[in-house]
Amino acid sequence: MKDLKQRGLRIFQWFEKRTGLLKPLEEMARHPTPSSAASWWYVFGSAAMVLLIMQVMTGILLALVYSPSASNAYASLQFINHNLRLGWFLRAMHGWGSDFMIAIVLIHMMQVFLFGAYKYPRELTWIAGVFLLLLTLGMAFTGQVLRFDQDAYWGLGIGASVTSRIPFIGAPMVHLLLGGPIIGGATLSRFFALHVFLIPALLLAFVGLHLLMVLRLGINEWPMPGRLVRKSDYDRNYVALTKSTGVPFVPDAAWKDAVFAAVILLAVMACAFFFGPFGPGGQPDPTIIQTVPRPDFFFLWLYAVLAFLPPEMETPALLIAPVAIVGGLLLLPLIAGEGEKHWSRRPVAVLMVTLIAVTLGTFTHLGLHTPWSPAMDSWSSDPVPASFVEHRTPLERRGALLLQQKQCRNCHSIGGVGGRRGPALDAVATEMTGDQIVRQILQGGGNMPAYGKALSPEETTAITQYLRTLRGPGLRPAADASQGLQPQNASHPVDSTKGASGAP
Amino acid sequence: MSGTTPTTPRIALVLAGCMMLVLAGCRAPGKPGPAEPRPDRVMEFAKLYKQNCAACHGEEGKRGLAVSLSNPVYIAIAGKEAVLNATAKGGPGKLMPAFAKSYGGTLTDAQIEVLADGIVRHWGQPQLLAGKNPPSYAATLAGDAAAGNAAYTAYCTRCHAEEAIDKTHIAGPITDANYLALISDQGLRTAILSGRPEEGMPDWRGIAPRPLTDRQVTDIVAWLASLRKTPASPNTASSKEKSHE
Repeated sequence: MKDLKQRGLRIFQWFEKRTGLLKPLEEMARHPTPSSAASWWYVFGSAAMVLLIMQVMTGILLALVYSPSASNAYASLQFINHNLRLGWFLRAMHGWGSDFMIAIVLIHMMQVFLFGAYKYPRELTWIAGVFLLLLTLGMAFTGQVLRFDQDAYWGLGIGASVTSRIPFIGAPMVHLLLGGPIIGGATLSRFFALHVFLIPALLLAFVGLHLLMVLRLGINEWPMPGRLVRKSDYDRNYVALTKSTGVPFVPDAAWKDAVFAAVILLAVMACAFFFGPFGPGGQPDPTIIQTVPRPDFFFLWLYAVLAFLPPEMETPALLIAPVAIVGGLLLLPLIAGEGEKHWSRRPVAVLMVTLIAVTLGTFTHLGLHTPWSPAMDSWSSDPVPASFVEHRTPLERRGALLLQQKQCRNCHSIGGVGGRRGPALDAVATEMTGDQIVRQILQGGGNMPAYGKALSPEETTAITQYLRTLRGPGLRPAADASQGLQPQNASHPVDSTKGASGAP
Repeated sequence: MSGTTPTTPRIALVLAGCMMLVLAGCRAPGKPGPAEPRPDRVMEFAKLYKQNCAACHGEEGKRGLAVSLSNPVYIAIAGKEAVLNATAKGGPGKLMPAFAKSYGGTLTDAQIEVLADGIVRHWGQPQLLAGKNPPSYAATLAGDAAAGNAAYTAYCTRCHAEEAIDKTHIAGPITDANYLALISDQGLRTAILSGRPEEGMPDWRGIAPRPLTDRQVTDIVAWLASLRKTPASPNTASSKEKSHE
């Protein structure tokens, strides 16, 4: 045993004498860290790096099988999912790893911001971090494209159309990205090159720079209210602090990083195991219109923002907002490089983080839940629930049939079944009079198209007659109150559509 | 300390073993099921029926708003050819849309065939009307509206009238011009021939004391068709209404 140890040490020394690599590495690992920085709050950066390594490893394994061509990509994804042992798990790890990585990077960024760690002398570390965030998002988008399904196809379409709005260079940029004016044979090759070579190389380079600076400048000390950062004396104070409270990074601080990274890896594995891989959804064929494409989780907020922007605001917002946001992030440490670090003395910073988190969370929620798309096959697949057609006259039943055939159900639900683009019709007769229903159908309005040209008078009458029967239990139909005020009408029932039905 | 050292690796081994078993087995909840076929490659009757027919013809072919496909009398009289035709090209009344791609729909000919074949095989009963000599599905004779009026009054108004005699089957009037504008002659004929069993409407054999003849059915349809008129557009209807009130 002892002999073996001796021999091992000798081999180690043989290499060390020739490379001289291990001593600096050891020094790096044991570099002193203020004991306050050996905190559970400081584990996110290393977790992001561990996730990056995992993404690289799973990515290499996927690249062994994946075929980056428009005609074969979908089939190769299916092959990985179904024909490779644990191929689905590999895809799931890579997909969930991506989501976890973005989440951890965002948390890391938020923590650094709230702890004032971007201030002097770590401005450039923050700036490199901003590029790392953008590159991570770039990886997520290009990865979503490589998962070549309907979401990828239409997401790419949106991406290209956003790019095309950049003045002067828009069209050439799209040409460069797609390998032509439209999504075609070269598109996936381009995105494969971006996702596998270009962006990862930049990502690793920036991670290297980021890490180098962390080591060179030391880990940010735990902020104390009232302890201001000043360029004149910060370095001296930091050295003094490290001298008085310093602990070696390995193992005193690093064990927390290791434990957290392990927990995160296990969480990725658990998500992959229990929830499986993302897609691929339907085939990426633009002739298939039975689809409701949605971007991946971390782009949902953008999807919601784009959906809510008024058309005339789209181009200015798309061109100005990203420049302003990225510019703001890059300039932040240069503008606010000194002063208070502690969050309790930086109300604006705390408010900004809260506001951004609430905004992104709200838009993500809207992106997940807003029924922007009609349920395109509701008209042919969702029957009107039986209780809504019983005890109706033949004409009313024709009206209900027309409600299906004219595809009203794609936007309007009845009995909770159907599209949710427009209001539910369960009790429409208690909300609108017959005249109002006819007007709404014929002229549309409030986001509803006008159907006047698509309906014959008989069809309109039948639909209205049917809708007049839809009211809550025990409720009377809506009535035009003004009609009751006219003396000659006092005895008349207010169901004015009755006359339009032309009953014999 | 001495107690924990041997058990820790054992627990780790057991855990690792469990993990391997779980991963190796096919019980992983995240393991994806079979891939969804393209919409034009779906060939299962149940799926095609649900996607394309269930909304109007009802789940399981009954309690829908349109013709009850699970009514074996309907299948026996119409036959697979008529079902196939209607599915592919749509109905004459335009309320049944055309589903074949060649007629502007979304289904391939093979899918239409699966649907028609499935409807007949699922809900049809071969030999149901063998020897019963039912009137033909499509009209072959010329109708006589006056005779139809008499037959209609005698047999149909029991249920189809504002004041129906048969209080257990109040089906509502069908002489309404709006209603008639929305149903084709073939639609009326199909309803008389095959009935609507779920709503208590009998087929051609149960409407009158004796089964209706082809001539009677054709006459009733001719009478109802003669009541069709070009009704006023809703705009003029509402202005008429206002002047009336």
